Amino acid sequence: MENFIHVLLDPLKDFWAGFIVFVPKFIAMFIIFAGGVIIAWALKLLLLRTLLAANFDAWADKAGLTAIIRKGDIWGKPSDISGKILYWFVVIIFLMIGLNALQIQTVDKVVSQFFLYLPRIFSALLIFVIGYVIAGFISRAVLIAAVNSGYHYAKIVAEAVRLLLIVFILAMVLEQLSVAPSIVVAAFSIMFGGVVIALAIAFGVGGIDAARRIIEKGSEEKKEAEKDVEHL
Amino acid sequence: MPEIDKIDILVGIASYNNAKTIDHVVRAVDAGLAKYFSDKKAVIVNSDGSSKDGTQDIVKTTTLDHAAMFLTYPAYPAHRISMPYDGIPGKGSAFRLILQKAVEMQADACCVVDADLRSITPEWIELLLSPIIKGGFDFAAPLYSRHKYDGTITNSIVYPMTRALYGQRVRQPIGGDFGFSGRLAEFYLKQDVWETHVARFGIDIWMTTEAIANDFKVCQTFLGAKIHDPKDPASDLSDMLLQVIVTLFNLMDRHYQKWKDIKGSKDVPTCGFRYHVGLEPVKVNIVKMLDIFRTGISNLKLIWTEIMGQGDFGEIEKIGGLSDREFRFPAALWTGVVYDYAIAYHKKMMSSEHLIKSLVPLYLGRAASFMMEVEEMEHHKVEEEIEKVCLEFENQKDYLINNWR
Repeated sequence: MENFIHVLLDPLKDFWAGFIVFVPKFIAMFIIFAGGVIIAWALKLLLLRTLLAANFDAWADKAGLTAIIRKGDIWGKPSDISGKILYWFVVIIFLMIGLNALQIQTVDKVVSQFFLYLPRIFSALLIFVIGYVIAGFISRAVLIAAVNSGYHYAKIVAEAVRLLLIVFILAMVLEQLSVAPSIVVAAFSIMFGGVVIALAIAFGVGGIDAARRIIEKGSEEKKEAEKDVEHL
Repeated sequence: MPEIDKIDILVGIASYNNAKTIDHVVRAVDAGLAKYFSDKKAVIVNSDGSSKDGTQDIVKTTTLDHAAMFLTYPAYPAHRISMPYDGIPGKGSAFRLILQKAVEMQADACCVVDADLRSITPEWIELLLSPIIKGGFDFAAPLYSRHKYDGTITNSIVYPMTRALYGQRVRQPIGGDFGFSGRLAEFYLKQDVWETHVARFGIDIWMTTEAIANDFKVCQTFLGAKIHDPKDPASDLSDMLLQVIVTLFNLMDRHYQKWKDIKGSKDVPTCGFRYHVGLEPVKVNIVKMLDIFRTGISNLKLIWTEIMGQGDFGEIEKIGGLSDREFRFPAALWTGVVYDYAIAYHKKMMSSEHLIKSLVPLYLGRAASFMMEVEEMEHHKVEEEIEKVCLEFENQKDYLINNWR
C-alpha cells in the first residue's frame, strides 16, 4: 500500500519540484516580456515625438517615401508606421530574451538562432528599402529622358527598368537571407542573362531598320545643325 | 608677358575648340581696344577649356596691323594671356579664371565675349565698356537683334521671370557677352557658387541676377546681330534648360526677401544706337516639338499632376488634344506652369534634375505655340507678344508669393 502511495505521489512530487523550479523562470519571463512591452511603448512614444518635431511626415512626402508605402497598400502616416515597426521589434526582442529565461534547451536553440539571424534580416531590409528607392529614381530618370527624346512608349520602358531592378534587388535580398542561395543565384543569372540576350536578339534582328533610321537621323541632324533654332 | 601691376581694362574670352572663330574675335577685341581705349592699359585674357584644335596658339599668335587701321598706335598695346582653367568644364569655370585675373590686376572695367562669335566688331568693345568707364554703370547686359524663333528659353522663361521677380527689364539676361566694373568682378569672385550649375550654362543668369538683386547699377547695350558658330550638337536642350533654370530657381531662394515686395517693372537705361538687322532664317520642327509635348502628356501625367495639380494638368491635356494647326499654349497657363515648377523646386518636391527635365516637353509645347503665333509677324509685333507674356508673369506674381511659404 505504501508502495502504491509512493508510486502515486512521486510523479506529483517530481511535478511539484519541476513546477517550483519552473514558476520563477516563468515569472522572470513574464516580467522581462512585460518590461519589454513597456520599454517598447516608451521607445515608440519617444520616436513619434522626435519624428513629429523633425517634421518627418512632410519630409517623407517630399522624398517619395509616402508614395512607396502607399504602393504597398499601407495607409498610415510614415511616422506612425516607423513607431509600430520599432514597437514590435523591441517586443519580439524581449520575448526572445524572456523565452531564454525559461532555460528550455529547444527554445534556447531557437532563440540563439534568431539572434544570429537578426543581422541578416537587418541588412536584407536595408538592401530592400535602399534598392526600392534607387529603382524608383532610376525608373523616373529613364521615363523623363525617354519622353524628352520623343519616345512614345517611355512609360513601358521605365516600368520595365523598374521591374528588372526590383528583381535584381529581390535576388540580393534572398541571397542575404540565405534562402536557397544557389537556386536564387542560378535563377537570377538565367533570367537576367535571358532578358539581355532576348533584347540583344530583338534589337539585332528586329531592330536593324530602326537602328539604321536612328543612325541616319543622327547624321542628318548633325548636317542640318547649322540652321537649327537656338534655345538660349 | 611682362609683369603688370595695375590695368584699366580686362577683356575675357572663354573658349573651347573655337579655332575657326577665335582669330576674328581676338582681332575685333584688339582693334576695339586700340580704337576706343588707346590711352588705357588693357589685357586680353583667354580662358580655355583645354581645346584640342589649337585655339590657345591662335590667341597668342593672332596679329593686328594697327598702322593699317588707325592713324596712331595705341599708347598701351593690349597684352594677351591664354591659359586653361581648372574645375568643372564649362563657361562659368572659364569666367571664374577671368574674374580672378581681373581682381589680381585690379581692372577698373571688364567685359567678356564668346569665342564663337562671327558678328563681333570692334564697336562691341566700346559698347560693352563705355557704360562702365564713362557711364558709371556696374553691369552692362547685351541687347541683340535676334531671329524671332531664337532665344526661346530667354523669351519664354528667363526674361519674363527675371523681370517679374526683380522689376528690371533686362531683355537678354543670358546673352553671354557682358561688361562689368572691377568692384562687381570682386563681388562675383567672392561668392561660393563655383561648384554648382553656375560653373556651366548657369553663369549668365547668375551674373545678371546678382548684379540686379544686389543693387549694382545695371544697363543694357545694343550690339546688333548676334551670329555665332553652330552649337555643339551634343549640347543637349534638357541639360541647358537644367543649368539655366536651376540657377534661376536657386537665385529665387537666395533673394526671396528682395523680390517678394517688388511689383511691376521698369526699363533699364539702354546704350547704343538701336537698328533692325536682317537675320539668317532659322529652321524649326514644330511637328517634332508638339510630338514631344504630347508624349509628355501621355507619359508624365503623375509627375505633372504632382507639380501643377489636377486643374492645370487638365488644361494641358485639353490643349494637347488640339490639332497641330489649332494648337495654342496660352501665356496665362504657361505662366502658371512655370510658377508651379518654381514652387515645386523651392519645396524640394523631387530631385532637381527630374523636376527641371520634366519641364522640357511643356517648354517645347509653349515654344511651338509661340512660333506658330508669331509666324507672320514683324519684329516689333513679336516683341509685343513677348511683352504680353511678361505682363502675365507680373500679374500672376501674387500666386507665386502666396504659395512660396
